[in-house]
Amino acid sequence: MYRTNAFFRFFITLLIGAAVPFILAIDILVADEDVAVDGSITSDAFFEREIRPFLKKHCVQCHGKEKQASGLRLDARSFAFRGGDSGPVLVPNQSHASELWLRIQSEDDSLRMPPEGEPLSSQEKELIRDWIDRGAPWIESDEDRQAMTDPRREHWAWKRIASVAPPAPTVPEVSEFPLRNTIDRFVLSKLAEQGLQPSPEADRRTLIRRLSFDLLGLPPTPDQVAAFELDTDPLAYEKLVDRMLESPQYGERAAQHWLDISHFADTHGFERDQIREHAWRYRDWVIRALNEDMPYDRFVRLQIAGDAMEPDNPQAVIATGFLAAGPWDFVGQVETPSPVLRRLARADDLDDMLTQVLTATCAVTINCARCHDHKLDPISQKEYYSLASVFAGTKRGNRSVSQAESTKLAEARNQLSSDIQELKRKLQESKLPNWDLADIVGGGNGLKTGQANQSIDPATGQVLIEYRGFLENAMPNRFMESPLKIIDGVAIPDGGELGNVTVSSTGLVAQNIARTSGKSWDAIRNGPVHSQFSNKLAGLDVGDGSHSVLGMHSNSLVTFDLTELPNLSPEISPINEGLRLRGSLGYFGQTPKNGASVLVLVDGSTAFRRERLGRDDGISDLDIVLPKGSRFLTLMVTDLDQDISHDQVCFINCRLEATQAIDPEVENAERERVASIQARIADLEKQIASLVEVDQVYAVQSETPPAVQILARGDTEQGRDEVTPSSLECLEGLGNFSLEASASDLSRRLALSDWITDTANPLFKRVIVNRLWQQHFGQGIVATPSDFGLGGALPTHPELLDWLANDFHEKRYSLKAMHRLICCSSTYRQQSILDSQLPSHAKSTAVDANNRWLWRQNAFKLDAESTRDAVLAVSGQLEPSMFGPGFREFDYKEEYAPVYSYVTRNDREANRRSIYRFRVRTTPNPWLTSLDCPNSANFTPTRFVTTTALQSLALLNHDFVLQQSENLANRISSLHDVPKDQIAVAWSLVFSRKPSELEMRASEELIGKHGLSTFCRYLLNSNEFVSID
Amino acid sequence: MIMEKNRVLSAGPVAAGRRSFLKQLGDGFGACALTALLHSEAVRASDSTMDTTTKDERGQSRFPHHAAKAKSVIQIFCPGGLSHVDTWDYRPELTRLHGKPFDSELGKQTFAGIAGEYAKSFWDFSQHGQCGRWMSSLFPQLAKHVDDMAFIYSMQNKSALHGPAMFMMNSGFVRPGFPSMGSWVTYGLGSENENLPAFVVLPDTRGLPPGGVLNWNSGFLPAVHQGTVLSTTANMPPIANLFPRKGREVELEHDGLAFLKTINQQHASTRQGDSMLEARIASYELAARLQLSAPEAVDLSSESGSTHQRYCLDDEDIGPFGRQCLLARRMVERGVRFVQIFCGAENTSSKKIRPNWDSHEDIVRDHGYWGRILDTGASALLEDLKQRGLLDSTLVICTSEFGRQPFMQGKQKGRDHNPGVFTAWMSGGGTQGGTSYGSSDDVGFKALDKPTYSYDLHATALHLLGIDHERLSVYHDGIQRRLTDVHGNVLKEIIHS
Repeated sequence: MYRTNAFFRFFITLLIGAAVPFILAIDILVADEDVAVDGSITSDAFFEREIRPFLKKHCVQCHGKEKQASGLRLDARSFAFRGGDSGPVLVPNQSHASELWLRIQSEDDSLRMPPEGEPLSSQEKELIRDWIDRGAPWIESDEDRQAMTDPRREHWAWKRIASVAPPAPTVPEVSEFPLRNTIDRFVLSKLAEQGLQPSPEADRRTLIRRLSFDLLGLPPTPDQVAAFELDTDPLAYEKLVDRMLESPQYGERAAQHWLDISHFADTHGFERDQIREHAWRYRDWVIRALNEDMPYDRFVRLQIAGDAMEPDNPQAVIATGFLAAGPWDFVGQVETPSPVLRRLARADDLDDMLTQVLTATCAVTINCARCHDHKLDPISQKEYYSLASVFAGTKRGNRSVSQAESTKLAEARNQLSSDIQELKRKLQESKLPNWDLADIVGGGNGLKTGQANQSIDPATGQVLIEYRGFLENAMPNRFMESPLKIIDGVAIPDGGELGNVTVSSTGLVAQNIARTSGKSWDAIRNGPVHSQFSNKLAGLDVGDGSHSVLGMHSNSLVTFDLTELPNLSPEISPINEGLRLRGSLGYFGQTPKNGASVLVLVDGSTAFRRERLGRDDGISDLDIVLPKGSRFLTLMVTDLDQDISHDQVCFINCRLEATQAIDPEVENAERERVASIQARIADLEKQIASLVEVDQVYAVQSETPPAVQILARGDTEQGRDEVTPSSLECLEGLGNFSLEASASDLSRRLALSDWITDTANPLFKRVIVNRLWQQHFGQGIVATPSDFGLGGALPTHPELLDWLANDFHEKRYSLKAMHRLICCSSTYRQQSILDSQLPSHAKSTAVDANNRWLWRQNAFKLDAESTRDAVLAVSGQLEPSMFGPGFREFDYKEEYAPVYSYVTRNDREANRRSIYRFRVRTTPNPWLTSLDCPNSANFTPTRFVTTTALQSLALLNHDFVLQQSENLANRISSLHDVPKDQIAVAWSLVFSRKPSELEMRASEELIGKHGLSTFCRYLLNSNEFVSID
Repeated sequence: MIMEKNRVLSAGPVAAGRRSFLKQLGDGFGACALTALLHSEAVRASDSTMDTTTKDERGQSRFPHHAAKAKSVIQIFCPGGLSHVDTWDYRPELTRLHGKPFDSELGKQTFAGIAGEYAKSFWDFSQHGQCGRWMSSLFPQLAKHVDDMAFIYSMQNKSALHGPAMFMMNSGFVRPGFPSMGSWVTYGLGSENENLPAFVVLPDTRGLPPGGVLNWNSGFLPAVHQGTVLSTTANMPPIANLFPRKGREVELEHDGLAFLKTINQQHASTRQGDSMLEARIASYELAARLQLSAPEAVDLSSESGSTHQRYCLDDEDIGPFGRQCLLARRMVERGVRFVQIFCGAENTSSKKIRPNWDSHEDIVRDHGYWGRILDTGASALLEDLKQRGLLDSTLVICTSEFGRQPFMQGKQKGRDHNPGVFTAWMSGGGTQGGTSYGSSDDVGFKALDKPTYSYDLHATALHLLGIDHERLSVYHDGIQRRLTDVHGNVLKEIIHS
């Protein structure tokens, strides 16, 4: 098949490999003539007889094909004259300027060549000098050309896809194996070569089960089987294939194969395996794209660079979820302050992204060139880092699916916010003696001028906008002053042994404070704290927008400096007249009892105390008259020295009022003015709240790409030469791309996606048609679908592979067209069962037991997801709704590292197809795992099939199977009353056929003794249910 | 091919079929059992699953590569980071520097914060045994066994993060997705008991360790080689799905299995030689045997009162780990190849005492608590194995994912992660008691003499099991993968010659 090809290759070698030395050779030929006149030997013969043997003996071991010390090779003419890392080593006619001569004659041991062994004899040295001074004649020979070729580059997979003509049907056609399409001609021709004969077509019941599980991952319904068995249309089979390809369930099945190689999951993985709330949108995108038969080149391009190609198309942005599908180490990337650890985690992250893209689309094991040049394939370490630099500015994370929508939303929000700011400014002019404490925490003056949800870090006193979790390394009992004027300061209280806690910047010490754990969570907030269990308590909803909420979590305290309250008219100065604190509070965490204690102190003395508050305690009122002259008001929330989880306390509508009012008329007028402004603010805030958020997806975020260096031994702390984005060189006929260091993240990924999907890329099409082939025959034409390199398997049918690749191109990259082609071939339609009646089968088994030449179809065992889906389908419980967030089969517990505990649900949502399950990377569904469901920490180009006792136990005893057996029993008994009929319907649901006499009798016996549900349980465990002919 | 993928490749003739049949079952828990079931010749597990490409250049790929000293492994893993300077690794220089600021050119930024002051061990060290090994008073009972223990003082890890560091210690790689040591061992050697899994994991009763099930994942090896978790909580069925949750009905199961066999045989009769079908029929018989053998294996009522006392099974705090250790001994007795015990669980933010060794804020509290647990269980295990004559054939490995710093973490009373050096020890299984390998620097900050990684520990363990670590490999995605990556030297210094 490569005959045509080989000619072109030779031609190109001539052009690029030979042209330059050829020009040089002319010079030397002139010099040679001098030699020929002087001496009796021709230069050609002289070099070959004297010099090449010398180089071979002393130099080539370190400066040859295996090893290129200092970048120098002396085993081929062009290499020798090009020189090494430090420049040329041979200057014709000038031995004194030729490094080669200088090094062999050097007296300095550190310079002398060869470095080891006996020094050269003076005769040998003279030989070299003489040769150089005579012009260093060296005519390129076959040996030079041979040395220059890298045999690894001759590997079939890097070569152009050949345009192959299908073999002529020289083989006598077998009546039960009509040549339905070109595939059959290739397969039959190979079979003939091996002396093998194809098998006859399987019966219709077998065909519809095979097709249904292959294309949809589900069993056919009894009606579908019956209709197909009776269909007399000569194209009944082809029409069945078409119907299945048009079914929405096709995309659900096909998506699983793609998610296997993109190792998609809904959590990060690693130690703190947190949830990716928006990852599912990518999973849905894959299903949709496959269902609408998006051309495969576009399918791949969007997944690598959709955000660059069509930034305003939400679906294009979602497609880049592909790049983010793999694991991500939160602790290494974010949590640790160590820069070394962060670099390491990022390098692993980049490696994962690059490996995924290259193995999925091109079956190139690029990851092997991370620490050194690839040991098997002609891929250099430099190429690895050049490719890795494509993703240097690509980070995984949540993003809006539409930049345009987000911008619009931000503009609307900004407009509303600035209107609110303007109103708040007017509020600031108020003289009303009424200050809201939550507002002050939010940076306001107590009159709703603060920022909603703004907070103060109890460990540092700093103002924070973002939400945080557990405060690692926070120190207790350090009173930290606040930059906010009215806030004196904050602290994390711990009464310790003595019960003393400092509560003001002036050093006031509160006494009798309980011992605490000294830990804290999130911040003191103008709003609920992070992850508050609920906004509702005892019938009150503090999240409805009409309440002011000051959120605190144990252990924390905040002290207000009342002398800083603004707008105090002289006559109501709190120093003179005193203030009154009014409002309410409650424990909003999950703990019903004994959660946290709340204290209010005035100038360090306890004015209010509620111990051991829990959810059950509901809302408590707060009404404290502060003594005249009070200066410091302190709110404190402490744990009970147990743990701090869920200790979420809200102070609701807590405000300071002057105990003695100013002129009532003035006050009333002012109150009205303030109320009307506050009403307008509330209205605008409602508008902000009602703005619909733009959908998010867990995909990629672009940053300015940092410089990328080659890392010696892959060590992030050993950066070497900088590289810029470019691609692999070994692919024949495919141009390289090369970008400047200044190229943006988007332009880099765009360039890579163009390069990968280039029609000249010999791998892109071969790899995908091989994957499709594997889906339908159990093994690919290349048995290692993500490794087409020298270590991978060789194609069994190389011509067919190339023909399919070309056909795929002609069919405009339609995946459905390829499925149709394969499924409609006689090759696919063969029976899988060995037939001892057929003499050819005995022979075929002897020749090709593993059926590499496809003299029959391969039976297959249902994979984990298909098993689960098939159980639900036959039990009648499969919920067909498509898309949306994954269903969760676990109890989730928020912890330092989240805890996922699996439960068995039996409700509509949880009975959706397995593709819609929520995938937890570190804690996958153990039942599916036991059935060989791969872990999404790994790329899975091919699934393992094992058979173990643990699988049998999982299918026999797991709650899911027991529940569905019950459901199946109910379904059957609702259809028929008579056991014989019940058995018949069970058989048609589970096996798509009628039971035999023996099976009928055995079933009746079991049902008679142990009931229908037990019968169903064992049917679902049968070989025939999980093994598809 | 390594294993049949996706499609089952049915073989025809019975002779060819049997090989394929074994292959289908995978090895370890399965192949050997089936071998016995069929009364056929003893086929080593590895024979049935080794890819032709896994043969080394010399064409030798059969196991064992050389005479094995150990038959089985018990690995005690202390997740969170066990402080070597407070336990195994005596650093008197630390006493001198105690209270002085840590000052290193390497910077003061560690995993979680800024280095504080040097701190000497929180437990006193003294010498023990014939070999005069120094050990701290945190482990008074283990100290009696030093003449049976071989220490590696120069362990390092490539990551300072729990997750990746755990993966490295268990699989040789900081990234997830590589086969764990137990998977490699059972892939190479299979099991000696046809009725129990070859690779058993006994997690802490508080929960799974950092990184969860990936620590005993089989990666790209067949799934049959992943560790099987045995429940360590008393009175729980030991294996998931061993029985229906509502309890079992023996007669129903008997009749059900008979029915299943009838219809399976009927189905197989027209599909002769399909190895997967035969393997599935056999797997249900194996499952029935497992239902008998697994409860027996975890039933501690047959153990004597003194054994119960030795492992302190009744103690609320240290009893659960004692139970894990005793279960490990029972597994090894029954021919289980690899047992992994976790002494600690995943971190949480809300507990008074840390659920593992990760003592950032209070080392006396946390190491004090866990030290008693490890000391009691591990010493009981060593003593018990020795008395029963099992220690010679059982390799016991005790390790953590990294050590802790010789200085305090900022102003706190704990120590931060230290991947620069830590200590692991081995006992039995052909190791030479009383020996040691490598050392840390004066203060226990970095490995000084013969720095080493998991590679050497794994290579040594495999060597003792009769496996050349360079020849236990599988081709995966472009590279011949091994437990030891491209590294690994057998530590001859600690092996009994």
